[in-house]
Amino acid sequence: MYAPPVQRLISELGKLPGIGQRTAQRLAFHILRATPEDANALADAIRDVKDKIGFCEVCFNLADGPRCRICADERRDASVICVVEEPGDVIPVERTHEFRGRYHVLGGALSPIDGVDPDDLRIAELYARVEAGGITEVVLATNPTTTGEATALHLAGALHERAPDVTVTRLASGLPVGADLEYADEVTLGRAFAGRQGV
Amino acid sequence: MPPVRTRALVVRTVDVLETSRVLTLFSRDLGKVVALAKGARRLKSPFQSSLDLLSVCDIVVLRKDGASDSLDLLTEAVLIERYDSLRRDLRSHYAGQYVAELLDALTDPHDPHPKLFDAAVITLRHLDEPFLRPRRVMRFELACLRELGLMPALEDCVHCGANVNVSVENDRVAFGLATGGVLCAACRPGQPHVATLSGQTLDVLRRHASPGNSWRDANLDPRALAATRGTLGAILGHLMGRRPRLWPYLGT
Repeated sequence: MYAPPVQRLISELGKLPGIGQRTAQRLAFHILRATPEDANALADAIRDVKDKIGFCEVCFNLADGPRCRICADERRDASVICVVEEPGDVIPVERTHEFRGRYHVLGGALSPIDGVDPDDLRIAELYARVEAGGITEVVLATNPTTTGEATALHLAGALHERAPDVTVTRLASGLPVGADLEYADEVTLGRAFAGRQGV
Repeated sequence: MPPVRTRALVVRTVDVLETSRVLTLFSRDLGKVVALAKGARRLKSPFQSSLDLLSVCDIVVLRKDGASDSLDLLTEAVLIERYDSLRRDLRSHYAGQYVAELLDALTDPHDPHPKLFDAAVITLRHLDEPFLRPRRVMRFELACLRELGLMPALEDCVHCGANVNVSVENDRVAFGLATGGVLCAACRPGQPHVATLSGQTLDVLRRHASPGNSWRDANLDPRALAATRGTLGAILGHLMGRRPRLWPYLGT
């Protein structure tokens, strides 16, 4: 229907998540209408990100060098590690401005039913970091899903065995700020009660 | 097609697109359903916390035309039951995932088995009892085989129908994995994929497969448990065409 280069662009754009055939066509025509500078800037940005971005050798967060910005930052507290499932989970934690330690990205959650075993995650690297010494606390910030909880249980058990002096903590669960009790689901509300604090 | 309301257990979840999730649900009235839950991963999702793995919920599902390849659509889900022990104890969690794996692997879409659904829910409810957990799992494996019409013959020879009497203490009996049950001495020669079971293993299998509570009294020392688990694993592996993924996590 279209000239082969246009058809190729549509089919490549259509591979992106959330992009269907129609949206891919719209984006392709937008790129065709764009100035050569804008179109080339997009192409360069895609090429750049693939060429330059890899994983941090310490925490396995995304990095544009051997170490990510957080691991390279001497002001961050190296004695506290926050364990998350994916690189995308680092950003919301950073946005809180509550955590000044460093991270460890597992690369997923333990789920044998989906074929994800402990060896498929960067768990051995976490143990090595903890056993190397200098760590006082590991915060388990895996998702509050069944698989996230299982991952946290697995890690907590092994960390207690390998490094009994290290404090292992889990993120609290509760009500979102500004939410109305009336609309809270029973699981979240139940957890909020279980984790209530003195005032 | 009109929306259908039923009770379902979440046996598989896969994140898709930005905020959606494709769920495999084993429902009481519709059997296995694979449905898209739009926006299920959003914090303010209408499904809230009901669609987590191994949760039981009341769902409303829009069935798509059988001829098309499109997924059914989940429009509503209300949490009915969730099992905290699966979140507190890893062994319980793995046993729960094993239940989900068997339901997903052995059942066909839109083929309801209400008794199997009930058996799964009862098993998940009681996985927090460490002593009984292996027995509960075994009961569920056998319930699965029975409800799906795959139960091996444990009393009579699967080939000729003769009763197979076995002493619990000393005897051994041939068990045909391909033929699906015990074999008498006369029928044993020439049969493919034959395992040899001890009288005790066969007794444990029989007790766990029978209704009532005789399974609780079965002598299940670690050796007998390992042998029985091995036999069930071989049967299920034969039916599934592969070893269950959760198998190494169940322990004995």
